[in-house]
Order: sequence, then C-alpha cells, then structure tokens
Amino acid sequence: MQKWIVLLAVVAVIIACQNNAEEEYIAVPTPMELSIPTNFPEVAYNLEVNPLTEEGFELGKKLFYDGSLSSTGVVSCGFCHEQAFSFTHHGHTVSHGVNGLEGFRNAQPLHNLAFFNEFTWDGAATHLDLQPIIPITSEVEMNERIPNVLSKLRADKEYPKLFTKAYGDDVINSERLLKALSQFMLQMVSGNSRYDKYSRGEGEILTDKELAGLETFRQKCANCHAGELFTDQSYRNNGLPMNPNFPEEEGRKRVSGFQEDHYKFRVPSLRNIELTFPYMHDGRFGTLEAVMDFYANGMVANGTVDPSLIDSNGSLGIPLSITEKENIIAFLKTLTDNEFIEDKRFAEF
Amino acid sequence: MKVLKYAAFGMLLIIGMSCSKDDDKVDQISGEGTLKIEFDNAYAGSDLLLGTSYPGNGTERLTIDTFKYIVSNISVTQEDGTVFTYPKDESLFVIDESDNDSRFISLPNVPAGNYTKISFGIGVDQEKYLQGAEGQGDFLAIATDAGMLWSWQAGYKFIRYEGSFSSDGSTEETAFAIHMGSHGSALDNYKEITLDLPVSAKLRTDIAPEIHIVADLAGVLNAETILYLADKAQIHVDPVKSPQIAVNTSKIFTVDHVHN
Repeated sequence: MQKWIVLLAVVAVIIACQNNAEEEYIAVPTPMELSIPTNFPEVAYNLEVNPLTEEGFELGKKLFYDGSLSSTGVVSCGFCHEQAFSFTHHGHTVSHGVNGLEGFRNAQPLHNLAFFNEFTWDGAATHLDLQPIIPITSEVEMNERIPNVLSKLRADKEYPKLFTKAYGDDVINSERLLKALSQFMLQMVSGNSRYDKYSRGEGEILTDKELAGLETFRQKCANCHAGELFTDQSYRNNGLPMNPNFPEEEGRKRVSGFQEDHYKFRVPSLRNIELTFPYMHDGRFGTLEAVMDFYANGMVANGTVDPSLIDSNGSLGIPLSITEKENIIAFLKTLTDNEFIEDKRFAEF
Repeated sequence: MKVLKYAAFGMLLIIGMSCSKDDDKVDQISGEGTLKIEFDNAYAGSDLLLGTSYPGNGTERLTIDTFKYIVSNISVTQEDGTVFTYPKDESLFVIDESDNDSRFISLPNVPAGNYTKISFGIGVDQEKYLQGAEGQGDFLAIATDAGMLWSWQAGYKFIRYEGSFSSDGSTEETAFAIHMGSHGSALDNYKEITLDLPVSAKLRTDIAPEIHIVADLAGVLNAETILYLADKAQIHVDPVKSPQIAVNTSKIFTVDHVHN
C-alpha cells in the first residue's frame, strides 16, 4: 500500500511538472552571422529577439522584392530601393508609388540600418521592424493594409513553406513578416569602401587629393556627419530654401509637432553618396558639386537653421574654396562600396 | 512503514509547493479564473450614441462619428496589495464604440482573489513599441484594421475621436478629428490610470466578475484643460494640445460598478 502511495506521488510529480513531454519535429533554421566592420559602432538593433538565420534572410529578401506587398501588386520595396544605387530610387527627386502617385521625399539609401536607432528623414519610425509599415500603408507608396498583405501571403503557394523554414511552422503574421524584412535589411552592411580599408589600415592608400578632402571634411563637415557612419543621427535644419513644390513640408515637426523642429531633417549618412543622387530630402540637387555650392553659398535663414552653420557675424554657410570643394568630393567618392553594390546576396535577380 | 507514509505525504507537499504558482496556503482562495471588463462609453453622463449631437465646451455642439482607443497593460491589485499584471503581450485592445464586442474584454487565467484596484494604460508604451515586431505581435494587424496606425509614421494613434461640430460663432458643421499618440522619440503621450473598485471583484475559479468602466467622452476636451474645437479642430501631432488631450483622456475613466 505504502509503496503505491510513493509511486503515485512520483507519477504526480511527473504529470504536474512535465508539460512538454511530447516532442515535435521542428526544422531548425541555420544561424547567420552579422559581420560588423571593426571600425563601426555598436549594433543598435536587438538581435536577441530576432536572431538572424539564412531562412529568415531569404524570406525577407523575397518579401522585399515582392510587389504583392502593395495594393496594385507591382510596387515592391525594391521598386524605390535599387541596389545599384545603394538602394535608392535612381533618377527620382521624389519617389512615385502605386498608380503613379508621387510622394514628397527622396527615397533614402538602405545600408548599415543595424546601427541606427531612428529611420526616415524625420524619424517617423523609431524601430527598424516597424519602419516598413510606413511605405506599405502610405497611399502614395504601396497603399496596402497589413492584414491584406498577410492574406495574400497565406494564399500564396511558396510563402507558407518559406515561413515554415524560417520559423518552424507556417503561421504567417505581421510579427514574422516584419522580422523577416528586418533580417534582410540588417545584413545590408556597407563597410568595405576604399575609405574603410584605409581607416582599418588594410593597406589601402588614399591619394593626396582624397586625404586633403578628408582633412577639410573633418574640419568643416564632421560636426554633423560624425563618426564612421558619417552622421550623428540628429535632426538639423541646414538652411535649404523652402521648396515651393511641397509647401506642406515641415521636416521633423511633422513627427514631433514642435515648431523648433520645422524643416529639420535627419543628418544623412554619406556612405555611397556618389551613387545616391539626387541629394537632400527632396532630391533637389543632382550633383555633389551642387551640394558643395549650396553649403558654401546657397543657405538661407529659414527660421531654425542649425547654429553650427551660422558664424559669429551671423552669416550662413560653410566657407569652402574651389579646391576644398573638389577635395571633399574626391574624398566622398572613397565612401563608395562596390562590394556592397555588387553583393549577390542582396540582388533581386 | 509509517516513515514511508510520511515520506509520501512530504513529497506530495513538495509537489504542491513546487508546481503551484500561487501562494502555498492550502486554506486560501486558489486557482485561476476569468476577469471581465466592460468599457462603456458615455457623454456627459449619458450613454454615448454615435451620430447624436451633444453640448461641448462653451456654445460648441458636437456630433461624434468615431471613438476608438487603445487599452493596454492591465493589472489588478488585491486587498493585501498583491498585484497581478496581465501578460503584456496579451494586454492590448482596441475599444471601438461602433463595435460592441470590442467593448468587452475577457482576461482568462487571472489568480483567484479579491481585487480592489484596476490599472490600465491608454496607448502603447515606448518600451513595448521599441521591442519592434516582437513587441507588437498580432496587435499590429488589429490596430491597422481599426485605423489606429498613422500611415506616414510608424506609430499608434492612442485615441481616435472624430465627428463634426458647430457653435454660436459658426453654425456650419465643421469636421473635427483628434488623433493622439506618441510623437516618435520626441514626445511620449502614453498614460496609465489606476481606479479603485467600489466593491472588490471576487474572482474565483467559477466566478468571473465584471468591472464596468465608464469612459466619459466629454472629458477628452475638458477633464483638466478646456480645449475648444473652434481654436483647432484637427489635432494630430500638436506638441501642446496632444499632451493635454492625453492628460484629459487619462481622467475620463471611472468604475461604475462591479458584477460579482
């Protein structure tokens, strides 16, 4: 009798404490490294909650290039973010989305997103995962609803398989969709430009002109275009004349509501700048020469110009000689990372 | 043999202690049950009817078309101060006046007890938001469906209050829309509210009490700061008025009664 009681107790322990007795077969996705250049800052994205895997990356890539994320079935993320131009919309001042509708900002490059805390020109997204909601739902971009996207993916022949490979089962939800897109974008690390190899002491030699440009850049530009990402990730007004085509443009004020943020934009990274023309939030400048001329002579007092761009006697701009401008441009071109531009992992075809 | 008996009894006791999540006193209320919460929307003490006109501030009259808000982070407190916080990921709801089912929240697996306070948030807190896709889970799809996400910024509208108004100064009906949420990283408008229950909610494994909360919409424009729609009828990311709306909204909730 007593033995039975003991046995019962033991059985009870097993039943009560062991809920997961049954084991199911779950395909384990293959972990994928994120290679971080040694001259780069810390990763800002929390990879622990979205561990990178090859299957997640592949799913994200398919989603990135899939027009079915838009209402018309033709505008994909890759439509406005072309790899050859460091994932910008080549030839467009501002981008157009579904039904030929135009937005009012220039598509920003996609690279090194793992190292950023805020996204878009005005900081409208404060997490990489959630940024795609803006283009997917914006009427002038992809004009779609997340639940519709999910239904389309569920009805597709391929996606349930790809979600299973990436996540262990075929549940398709917004969390998995956005995580996969992030996985693809997180891998877009551009850190193998000539400048990087020079910076890391890998034997790359910059020309005298490029070095002189770097020196001037450090003195006159690096206050805002700071560090190895060439941005301090702040929002500043650089004294652009108002664009009469977009009178509603308020810059960062649109997100914060604060008057002092009017016409402030996020200091963009300058990596691959040679390829990401046209320049500024509205793509108004077609060349780097035009940008240099603007900083030297084109700034206007539009209300909230950054104090660092106003000198002690109140005049605006950054004094730059012709040679200095040329040198800076020569230096900026050393930030072009051809390995990244040609990296097959990110290519649509 | 007696020794064995004691040993067995001892083991059973250990089981009880190690496998139970609740307190270990056998004679206490134990187990889990369901807590129900009703969000009953009202206007100045009367039941809210969409499409009906109501007196606003001053001579303004409002006709309300839409009233939706996000409720999150529900927790309840027992008489002895024990707090039970409902799992954060399952504690996100859109309350929509036009969808009757949405006004009734049912929370299973709440420890049995006598609850005297309820707390909840209006909106989505920054910590949750900054968890990215992980933190939002399926709520993202629910919120988009309810139009509770801005399309130009990746953020939630904590409340959506829309309709039209007129006043002595302007008899023509003018549209108004109040969309309040956090402003990216610049301004956090998430607010938490704690309400005392008039009688304790006695939750048991077989009793699911219902806390009946009234949200009096009139307060959105006057609970603390009086806002005239004639001054501004479209309040979206207003750095002054949006925080005022957030504070006002945090004061519109009362517990009317508890069903045990």
